[in-house]
Amino acid sequence: MNNFYNLVKKEMKELITRQMIISLVFMVVMFGMMGKFIGGVTEEEKKPIETAILDLDKTLISHNFIENMAQLENVRISIIDEDSMEKAIEKTKERKGKALLIVPQGFGKDIEEIKGAELEIYSIVKGLSIGEVVSSGTLGQIINNINREMALNFIQETVADKKAEDIIHPIRTKEFVVVGEKIVPGNPAMIRSVATSQSVMIPVILMMVIMYAGIMVITSMGMEKENKTLETLLTLPVKRRSIVAGKMVGAAIVALIMAGVYMIGFSYYMSSFTSEVTGAAMTAVKELGLVMTPASYLLLGASLFLAILTALSLAMILGLFAQDARSAQTMNMPIVLLVMFPFFVLMFKDLENLPLVLKVLLYLIPFSHPTIAAKALIFHNYLPVIGGMAYMGLFAATLVYITVRIFNTDKILTARFSFRKVRKRV
Amino acid sequence: MDKAIEVKNLTKNYGKVRAIRGISFGVDKGEIFGLIGPNGAGKTTALRIISTLLQVTSGSVKVFGYDVTRKANKVRECISYLPEEAGAYKNLSGENYLEFMAEFYSENNQEKKSVVKRGVEIAQLSERMKDKVSTYSKGMTRKLLLARALMINPQLAILDEPTSGLDVINSQAIRRLIKSFAKNGTTVLLSSHNMLEVEFLCDRVSLIDEGLILETGSPQKLKDKYQAQNIEEVFMEVVK
Repeated sequence: MNNFYNLVKKEMKELITRQMIISLVFMVVMFGMMGKFIGGVTEEEKKPIETAILDLDKTLISHNFIENMAQLENVRISIIDEDSMEKAIEKTKERKGKALLIVPQGFGKDIEEIKGAELEIYSIVKGLSIGEVVSSGTLGQIINNINREMALNFIQETVADKKAEDIIHPIRTKEFVVVGEKIVPGNPAMIRSVATSQSVMIPVILMMVIMYAGIMVITSMGMEKENKTLETLLTLPVKRRSIVAGKMVGAAIVALIMAGVYMIGFSYYMSSFTSEVTGAAMTAVKELGLVMTPASYLLLGASLFLAILTALSLAMILGLFAQDARSAQTMNMPIVLLVMFPFFVLMFKDLENLPLVLKVLLYLIPFSHPTIAAKALIFHNYLPVIGGMAYMGLFAATLVYITVRIFNTDKILTARFSFRKVRKRV
Repeated sequence: MDKAIEVKNLTKNYGKVRAIRGISFGVDKGEIFGLIGPNGAGKTTALRIISTLLQVTSGSVKVFGYDVTRKANKVRECISYLPEEAGAYKNLSGENYLEFMAEFYSENNQEKKSVVKRGVEIAQLSERMKDKVSTYSKGMTRKLLLARALMINPQLAILDEPTSGLDVINSQAIRRLIKSFAKNGTTVLLSSHNMLEVEFLCDRVSLIDEGLILETGSPQKLKDKYQAQNIEEVFMEVVK
C-alpha cells in the first residue's frame, strides 16, 4: 500500500507543474471574464430601451399611444419636439437614445379609419453586437403587443357580445403530457428541456474528465520514456500492477482536479446563458416523476467512474506507444474521438431515433453509456444503465488485464508505433 | 551458493536480430565483474535481462539463485540497476527523488531517512539537492542516479557505463566509491567502453562482441595470456 501511495504521489508531483497550474488558472479566468461579459450583455438587454418619440400627428390617438408606451417597463421614452426626421435623429443621439420612433401626420386618422397606420422606427446602431440588435427587436415586440391590444379593443367595441380573443383565436389547444400512467398538463418540448436540464452537464463533465485523464496517463508514460526513468522504475521491488494502478490513480486525481477547476469556470460561463426554468414546467416535471433521485445520482456517479476507468486503461495501452510527452498528445486522439462522437450524436438525437447501425456503434463505445444513463435515469429506466455499467466494467477490466500483461513483458520497453511503417503497409 | 549471478547459454533475439548468441558466465558474491565490448556487442541487453527488464529468448539467468523470469520480483529485491542513459523525474528535487526511491526499500520512516542521508552523501550535490532535477547538468544527474543506485546498499549493483557523462575527477571518485561498496559486500556487475576503467575496477571481466563472450578472466590473467600492456590491447587481440 505504501509503495502504491508513493507511486501515486510521485505521479501527481510530476504531472502538476507550474505551467499546468498557470494554464489552468488562465483558462478559468478567461471563462470567468467571458461569463461576466455575456452576463453584462444579458443585463443590458433587460434594461429599458431609451427611446425618443417625435409626434408629428399630435392627435388624441397619438397622444394615447405615447401614454401607453410610457406605462411599459421595458422602454423609457423621451419626447422630442423637432420638425424633421434628421433633426430628431441628431437629438436622439445627443440624448444617447437607442431608437427614435416617429409618429407621422395622419397616424390617428389612419387608425380611426382602419387604414393601417404606419410608425417609423429608427434604430441608432453603433455596432453589430447582439445587444444592439436585440434592443431594436424588443421595440418591435412592444409595438406588436400594442397592436394586439388595439386590435382586441377595436374588435370588442365592434362585436360587443363576443369575446375579442375568441374571434382572433377561434381554436385553442390545451396540451397534456403522458408518461407511463401519469398525465399532466404541459408542453412536451418545455418538459423535456426542464427534465434534461438536470443532467445537461453530464456529457460535458465526462468529456472534460476523460480527455484530461487520457492526456495525463499518456503524458505520464511519454515522460517516463522521454526522461529515461521507465527502466529504473521497472526494476524497483514493486509489483507491475502497482505501477499501472499508481499511474492510473495519480493521473485520475490530477484529471479530476483539472476538470473540477475547469467546470467551475465553465459553469460560471454557462450560467450567463441559462434561462430561468418556469415554475409550471418544473411542477409538471415533478408530477411526472421525471426527476433525478439520490439513487439516480449514485448510479450516474458509478457510470461516470467506470467511464473514467475505461478511459484510463485505454490511455495506459496507448501510452505504451508514446515515445515522449509531445507524441502523447497525438496518442490521445483516439480517446478524444471516442468521447466526442457519442457526445455530439446524443446531443442532437435521441438514441431511440437513430438507425440501428449507429445505435449499435454507440452501445459499443463505452463513453456513450454515461450520457445514455443520464437520459434513462430521468425516466427511471434502469436496465440500460446497469447494462452499460457492466459493459464498461468488463471493458475496463479487460484493458487493465492487457496493460498489466504488457507491463510484465519487455514490450513495455520495445513497443513502438511508427506512422512510416503504417504508410509503407498502405 | 556462492554465485551472485549465473548465466547459462543465454540468447536474446529482437525479431530477426540476434543480440545475444548463447553466452555463459558467473559472478561471485562481492566480486566486481565487468562486461567489455564495443557498441552493439550485447552488453546492455545482457544487463537488462539480468535486471528483469527484458525477457530471455533461451537459456537461463539466476540472481542469488532466483530465476529472472520466474522469480522476477525476488530478483528486483536484490538488485539496483543503473541504466546507461537513465534520467530522473524532472519535476522532483534531487532530495525528493531519493526519498521516492528510498521508500521502496525502507521498512519505516527512520530507515528511509538514513537511506536518503546516505544517498545525499554519495551524490555530493550539497545545496543543489533541494533544486529540481530539471536544473541539473548531465554530470549532476549522473551523480544523483549513482547515489540512488548505491544508497540502498544493494546485494547486486548493475551499473551500465557508471561514469558516462562524468569528468575525470568525478569519474575517479565514483570508481573509488564502487570499490568501497564491493569491499562492504555488494556485488557489482558493470559494463563499460572504457577499458582502463574496467581494468582498474574489475576483479574479472568478460570480453563480449557481436553477442558472444570471447574471453573471461581477471584483467591480469588476460594481459598475461595475450602478452598485452592493457585490456584494450587484449580486446584488440581477441577480436582479430
